[in-house]
Amino acid sequence: MSIEAINITKKFGHFTALNNVDLQIPRGELVALLGPSGSGKTTLLRIIAGLEFPDSGTVRFDGNDISDRTARERRVGFVFQHYALFRHMTVFENIAFGLRVRPREFRPQRAQIRAKVQELLKLIQLENLADRFPSQLSGGQRQRVALARALAVEPSVLLLDEPFGALDAKVRLELRRWLRQLHDEIHITSVFVTHDQEEALEVADRVVVMNEGRIEQVGSPDEVYNHPASPFVYNFLGNVNLFHGRVEEDMTYIHEAATGHVVYVRPHLLDIARLPSGGSHFRARIKHINAAGPLVKVEAIAEWGDPVRVELPQERFRSLQLMKNEQVFIIPKDVKVFPARKEMARAK
Amino acid sequence: MASITFPNPGLPAAAHATHATTERGWVRWTLIAVAVTFLGVFLFLPLAVVFSSALEKGFAVYLAALREPDAMAAIKLTLIAAGIAVPLNMVFGVAAAWAIGKFEFTGKSLLVTLIDLPFSVSPVVSGLVYVLIFGLQGLLGPWLAAHDIKVIFAVPGIVLATIFVTFPFVARELIPLVEAQGTEEEEAAITLGASGFQTFWRVTLPNIKWGLLYGVILCNARAMGEFGAVSVVSGHIRGRTNTMPLHIEILYNEYQFAPAFAVASLLALLALATLLAKTVVEWKARQQAAELEPRSGEAL
Repeated sequence: MSIEAINITKKFGHFTALNNVDLQIPRGELVALLGPSGSGKTTLLRIIAGLEFPDSGTVRFDGNDISDRTARERRVGFVFQHYALFRHMTVFENIAFGLRVRPREFRPQRAQIRAKVQELLKLIQLENLADRFPSQLSGGQRQRVALARALAVEPSVLLLDEPFGALDAKVRLELRRWLRQLHDEIHITSVFVTHDQEEALEVADRVVVMNEGRIEQVGSPDEVYNHPASPFVYNFLGNVNLFHGRVEEDMTYIHEAATGHVVYVRPHLLDIARLPSGGSHFRARIKHINAAGPLVKVEAIAEWGDPVRVELPQERFRSLQLMKNEQVFIIPKDVKVFPARKEMARAK
Repeated sequence: MASITFPNPGLPAAAHATHATTERGWVRWTLIAVAVTFLGVFLFLPLAVVFSSALEKGFAVYLAALREPDAMAAIKLTLIAAGIAVPLNMVFGVAAAWAIGKFEFTGKSLLVTLIDLPFSVSPVVSGLVYVLIFGLQGLLGPWLAAHDIKVIFAVPGIVLATIFVTFPFVARELIPLVEAQGTEEEEAAITLGASGFQTFWRVTLPNIKWGLLYGVILCNARAMGEFGAVSVVSGHIRGRTNTMPLHIEILYNEYQFAPAFAVASLLALLALATLLAKTVVEWKARQQAAELEPRSGEAL
């Protein structure tokens, strides 16, 4: 089912959680709402679910206005950050809950409920744990049960609020790949909220980047990462070096009588050389080298005194044989220039 | 308690107790002796006296005292008062805890204060308030008299006073519990298609049942034992408006010690049963609390 949120505004007291937000989610997509805390992403998700109602604006499912419908009537599957499993019920009963509370005329028979729950237990690979209580499960297992419980009622859309936020790093990685796989199998329109850009870029078909109650950009992971629409997006999706600069026709000058432009360069888009190249470059002194990991992280001080972060492939680093305190030249391979705006001040 | 042991710096390690918080022997024994003596004198001794005095003149007298019509009437009235007050306060307590714990509204703190009012007002005063409202000279007195409804010096007054005095027990017990549990499970139930009643019955109630039972037990003990407020509104009419505590007082004032203590022994038994039930429920509630995952830690 497709989801449309039109002109949604929501205030909590004096705090504007959502400011005139418009969002279209096509049927069958897996979409990430990405943003820092307080950006309004969870509020938007809860408004789509009917757990929160906007001050103004409309929500449509498949073109039908459902703004006045309660969460119960919207038939959405909702997965909570802290699982919200019914702690006094077994895994089996948790998953069966949505079927058991149906009005008598729509309620499946016992055997059908049992079969459905078994099928879902198989899907989440927890067939042996049907009789356990939530307290006897690990975090990852609980979240899978929560997902199965949401899927049991065959919802029209699946909404997940920071689904992996409470899990440790390794489980989080496993579970998000599993979610992607699951989505490829069942193709239910899904929206998940996250503040982890890596998670959003890896799992989602499309990423909605949010900031301060507004949508900054909507696009495929490739688009938002490689063609950010605003300095905020560029900044939020990965590490970045920030220089003030001047733009003249087709030339950009870093750190020269700034004209209110900001130049962003990702650390892996900087190269280091011993000799000045024919193209752009600036002088720097190497301050610190961290060679652990797939990329070598080099911290340097630019000639005008600002710190610069560079990430080099291991081979490149080995061929250069860089030393601490060495004078080198830094060569930007790609830069992004934005006119200075107030967001910069908030850049992380 | 975790038993982390380490030698006491500056003292020979082996010579003294290894627990940092352990006192010397004589301090320990003195403290224990004081506590045991205190408990014995103020708790066990009175309890023993109640039962021994009740059975002083033999079991036959004991039974006769309980079978006496006025005693039977007092027991019956106590059961009626508690039987009405406890369920009502249970319903009210759950409703109040639900409202206060799950929703935000203006006047919330005022409501919480009001719920506590019966705890802070002397029972005699609350009894008097009812006399001032429902008594013949009271606010509603003339109207009630005109319609031939008796509240004060009658069963309704006793029930009202009992309800008032036992008002906070269930609510007080449940509010922190409901607040701690948050609303996520309810939200989950609603998104899964449960109605308001189904959500309450299948999700909220099972989560608070031990706390609720605990509150009900305390509420019941107080309802049956209440003296002050009931005494003011009762009028002490034998066989009609005497509850057990009032009946005991009358018997005692008439120097009928054995029958007085016989009835008192029933209240003492109630207290013991309450303690036992309370212990069981607390133990169950702790088990349930252990199932409550340590959310804050995990979220990090």
